[in-house]
Amino acid sequence: MYIFPKDLYVDVRIEESFDTKISFKKKCLIEQKIRKNTGAFIRVFDGKRWYYSSISEVDLVQEQIDKLAQMATPNPHILEHPVVQKFEVNQTSKLNYANEPITNLSVLRKRNLLESRLELLDDPIIVNHTSFYVDNRTVKQIYTSKGTEVIFDKQTCGIRMSFDIAYGESKDQVSVSKGFDTFEALEMTEEYFRNEIQKTIEFVKNAVPVVGGEYTVLLSPMATGVFTHESFGHKSESDFMVGDETMQAEWTIGKSVANEIVTIVDDGNILGNGFVPFDDEGTEGKKTMIITDGILTGRLHSTQTAALLQEDLTGNARAMNFEFEPIVRMTTTYLEKGDRPLKEIISEIDKGIFVDTIIHGSGLSTFTLAPSRAYMIENGKISQPVRISVVTGNVFETLSEVDAVSSEFEFLGFVGGGCGKMEQWPLPVGFGGPYTKVRKLNVQ
Amino acid sequence: MKKEFVTVRQNETVIKVLNTKIDAVRVKDLTKRGVRVYENGLIGISGAIGNLSDDALVAMAKENLSVGIKYPYELTKQDEDHRDYRVKAIDSEQLVSITEQMLTFFRMEFPEFDFSEKIGFNETQIEFNNSEGLELSYQDAIFEIELILKEKSSSNLFDGFISYQGRTLDMDKFVSFNKMLLRAQGNAVLLPRGEKLPIFMTDTSKMKIFLNKALNGENYANNSSIFSQKMGQKIFNSKLTIEQNFDPTEMARPFFDHEGVKLNGDKLALIENGVLKDVFSDKKTAAIYGIRHTGGATGEYDSMPMLSATSLRCRNDSENIKKVLNGKPAIIVAMAEGGDFTADGHYASPVQLGYLFDGEKIIGKLPEFTVTSKLSDMLGDDYIGTFENPFYMSESGQLQGYYLTVK
Repeated sequence: MYIFPKDLYVDVRIEESFDTKISFKKKCLIEQKIRKNTGAFIRVFDGKRWYYSSISEVDLVQEQIDKLAQMATPNPHILEHPVVQKFEVNQTSKLNYANEPITNLSVLRKRNLLESRLELLDDPIIVNHTSFYVDNRTVKQIYTSKGTEVIFDKQTCGIRMSFDIAYGESKDQVSVSKGFDTFEALEMTEEYFRNEIQKTIEFVKNAVPVVGGEYTVLLSPMATGVFTHESFGHKSESDFMVGDETMQAEWTIGKSVANEIVTIVDDGNILGNGFVPFDDEGTEGKKTMIITDGILTGRLHSTQTAALLQEDLTGNARAMNFEFEPIVRMTTTYLEKGDRPLKEIISEIDKGIFVDTIIHGSGLSTFTLAPSRAYMIENGKISQPVRISVVTGNVFETLSEVDAVSSEFEFLGFVGGGCGKMEQWPLPVGFGGPYTKVRKLNVQ
Repeated sequence: MKKEFVTVRQNETVIKVLNTKIDAVRVKDLTKRGVRVYENGLIGISGAIGNLSDDALVAMAKENLSVGIKYPYELTKQDEDHRDYRVKAIDSEQLVSITEQMLTFFRMEFPEFDFSEKIGFNETQIEFNNSEGLELSYQDAIFEIELILKEKSSSNLFDGFISYQGRTLDMDKFVSFNKMLLRAQGNAVLLPRGEKLPIFMTDTSKMKIFLNKALNGENYANNSSIFSQKMGQKIFNSKLTIEQNFDPTEMARPFFDHEGVKLNGDKLALIENGVLKDVFSDKKTAAIYGIRHTGGATGEYDSMPMLSATSLRCRNDSENIKKVLNGKPAIIVAMAEGGDFTADGHYASPVQLGYLFDGEKIIGKLPEFTVTSKLSDMLGDDYIGTFENPFYMSESGQLQGYYLTVK
């Protein structure tokens, strides 16, 4: 397909994307657009340095390959370079959504679905609201000078409803969101949105400021998912370890890093936001056991990091879109469920906090969760709603402080946000988990 | 039929750095175009990345008229304003050379640290034209240095940042400031005593997100802002002025909004000397709620003009931090990730990276701690002031100080 220059490694990623966005302000349609874009990202490697180019004219790919090749220094031994040797060679097509793509649905059907949800916001204390429906189908093709030729697709759709509440002196701006990979699944979410909106209204009416301090904290599947992603997911991205002997020693495979009830997985094969049948270097999607029964058993890799750390490929080289190079990112990351019923776990908490929903989280050596809805747990029962700025904990201490995980489990998908890593934000990722009890976290 | 064209051209060179060495060179040359057509009080939109013709984009926008989205507002008209803020041009070879020079300095002087991420030079051109005689264009070119700093003996993902943003890059100033910063990074010190300490923020983005919600005209009119019904009242410290700011020299952004509207002098005070004077709005919000139109429309190149957040900046109101501190030790917060304001204005955040500061020099690195306060206190009685950032971190950077509770 392309003429690859001699003595260099080259790969080309072509992305064809289709997006719909429909927005309502209160019950008035304010935007409806369909966007179709195509672009390409080209990489050339001479064994010492990479050269990248992002273009929107895919008929200029060959010209860009040649330009980048002129910047590089030909290397007759390029095929023996450990990174180049490590690249998988795949030649296949995985078009999961080719038969019933979301692009074939009428925009009217999508608009009607969103419009039908708006009556859920009819409440006297909801003083304003903006809601949108979005979908995306992206078809990617990857061609490499080692022989990879793959074509695959991904699609997502979702609704996000943002609403302003004014109840006396209590005011809040809140969002409720849900995303799936098929429109049919999204059509089944009326009860979900109804419940979430009602819970939020009751929360704003009744929430009081929390008394800051250390508490036993019960995390919902959403909070567990964000906690897992932020606290440990980012630390398993191995680009942070390359060239860093301290980190490599700290993160030795086989080391005990958590309570034995903790198992954390990253899996690119799960449909939804984190679905990565091939990553953006053409490596096939894989399931990686990051922590198994409290023991560090794996980490996430691009081809470069896998080669440098002499480990197996995991299919985690992802780019936000055709404007960026692939870097190590999560796909769908979750904490495995346990075998204890939620009721039983709550009943053993005398005084604690239940974190139900999350605005955002972050993860360095200290991780943070900024709750949207949280409640006191008193004498084994969920009670008073409380406003919390932030829940924090040391990552390692917290993983050891996890002392119960429920048998109830959810995978979660949302629209209108994503994971950020340096300049690449937002990248859609999947996450999930059970209800998780942590013995001690700082709540402010 | 009236027509409006938005064109965004981005020409970027980025040097990706890994372990204090150049790992990659990335070039990007993209054009994004949006078209709006107006007819019978309706608006139709279209857009594309790449070289789709005007005729094709107009035809798509005309088709979008059938969606029936109302836009019964006057287009901005009869103004020609072309501004070019570029100081110099840098090609990829020159940027590689600058990066090599910088990385050599880091490797030689601070071998105990590793530096990774990017050094970039980003040229932007944004045009906003319409059939009513409006011709606006903004051109700029900015150096962006974003390096994460890792102590080689540390097991953290990273331990700090080196950052700079500006139209010019003075290597001597860059080296001098970062020498001081990195020496402080290697000098572990204890938190000063006291429950409430003077703390200076280099990044106030969390507060600006909160203020953007509170100063949004639609939220204000719907009574969902914490400032609702407080117009004309003194809500903050008398020193404090918060502006809707489109001045490219201070904000590195276009001098017009997404409806082609400029501000008088590129600025408009929303809170002046602590008094709530205005809230921001776009044409639609101003018309619906009968509030003053301030040019607050935002959006992507191909989207409807919307009201979401605007460019807010506190006016510099204080000078001479050393004098203000009067011998008290202070803290500069370099990284406070993950904290937030609750809806009623309570604030709490861990501070992952803070430095001891004497008003002139950065002295040492502090252990992690947590800060708490309330917005009304931070910008009220506990407000110290907004200062021009004396450090070589950004051409128009600021330091904003408050007394915060430290735990």
